[in-house]
Amino acid sequence: MASSLVQFSNSLADAVEFVGAAVIAVPEGGREGVSGTLWRDGIAVTAAHTIRGQDEVTVVLPTGEKSKAKVAGLDHGTDVAVLKLAQQTSSASLADESQSRVGEIVLSVGRRGSDGLAATYGVIGAIGGPWRSWQGARVDRWLRLDLNPFTGFSGGPIANARGEVLGIAISGPRRSVMTIPVSTVEGVVNQVLQHGRVARGYLGIGVQPVAFPDATRKSLSISGDRGLLVVMIAPGSPAESSGLLLGDIIVTIEGSPVHGVRSLQPALDTENVGRSITLEIVRGGQMLKLPVMVGEKQES
Amino acid sequence: MSTAVNPSTTAGIIIGNAVGAVAEWLRQITVRVSGSHNAKGSGVIWRAEGLIVTNAHVADSESHEIELTDGRRVQGWLVARDRKRDIAALAVSSIGLPAASLRSRRTLRTGEMVIAIGNPWDGVRAVSTGIVHHAVGNASLLIADIRLAPGNSGGPLADAEGNVIGINSMVVDGLGCAITSDAVESFLTQAHLAEAV
Repeated sequence: MASSLVQFSNSLADAVEFVGAAVIAVPEGGREGVSGTLWRDGIAVTAAHTIRGQDEVTVVLPTGEKSKAKVAGLDHGTDVAVLKLAQQTSSASLADESQSRVGEIVLSVGRRGSDGLAATYGVIGAIGGPWRSWQGARVDRWLRLDLNPFTGFSGGPIANARGEVLGIAISGPRRSVMTIPVSTVEGVVNQVLQHGRVARGYLGIGVQPVAFPDATRKSLSISGDRGLLVVMIAPGSPAESSGLLLGDIIVTIEGSPVHGVRSLQPALDTENVGRSITLEIVRGGQMLKLPVMVGEKQES
Repeated sequence: MSTAVNPSTTAGIIIGNAVGAVAEWLRQITVRVSGSHNAKGSGVIWRAEGLIVTNAHVADSESHEIELTDGRRVQGWLVARDRKRDIAALAVSSIGLPAASLRSRRTLRTGEMVIAIGNPWDGVRAVSTGIVHHAVGNASLLIADIRLAPGNSGGPLADAEGNVIGINSMVVDGLGCAITSDAVESFLTQAHLAEAV
């Protein structure tokens, strides 16, 4: 009876088993333990917020074996942590997440200590372009999932129906599942392995959005609708050394008009750390170009 | 009105039809249980000789009205109940009923498809589908990623072939919990109901 359904059922279970061979448990993570994904030989990723403050964690490998893993680095921006394992491991098959389609079946797979795999399934509800995490990190693609979260899913993979990894599952607001896609995780893993961290830019300013009167906007040919009024400059900050002053109003950043506070985020991306960016500011009723060196944010 | 055929949806249609076929079979073995204290739920015909299994929280009295698939209403007498494990067995006088074919959780794999039938709210023997969420070990509970409603209590959770793997009993964190068929069998053995009624 219904052999097509049995085939479908078996193929889902096969996909879980296939990707499950690269899913580890991180029992110390979070309140009740989280999951992790074997990303490369001897390298795993998990959810950064669940292992904050730890240099080493115990993991349970797909073989059931317990092992110590060093925390190679955390990226709070994407919530991805990189773990170095003491031994060689298998690793997940990574999919090209740009080939994903709305409606595709996806699986969220986790490992419960030595108790085996757990999974939920759903579909990709929507796909969007790059987005910013609430900590400001740029994430390459937005995969909105219609999928139930479950205890301990964080850090485990989101896989397609072939068991190939599309990204890492991270808990989002209101019991939702967010995906950090493969390309973004790759970037974090590379950065952490090379530099021990993911550098995030730092200017050292506090700003408040302000609207210009029409007359000012016309007379100074300001294209955006808003500016960012500098209300704080941290002592010794890159902003201070570049000569930015309280009361300056930022109107463009690297030539792009400012729309709000979030317009600053691209300037703080990893690739800008140590580089000079050009701000256009209004000071004393005049437009002025000011180069500012982007420093590196120190994680507290 | 002409009907268009979109060939790229064929696999989905086949799966949908297959779910319908399994559901049709499961409806045969699913009954509606109404107790005297207004508890309502579902039950599974476990043995053709008239043994029905449901949750203890559904079988809250000595006598229950059982509605079979064909609309017949019969009396179901409580013969065994374990409130801790939330299982109850009811006896009906009908014989030759279609009965569940069982499957042990020991052979289940995480990710396998599951199908539930129940009487959620006013829906009559409504079907829902999901996957096995967690099935390792010998626990008497099985967790499924499936949407269940209160009236699913006591109804069957089955695999892709329609074999009953458990009795739906509660929802925890949005996931469905079922008492495994193995746990039901051991309950029946302890109640000396394993052979026949």
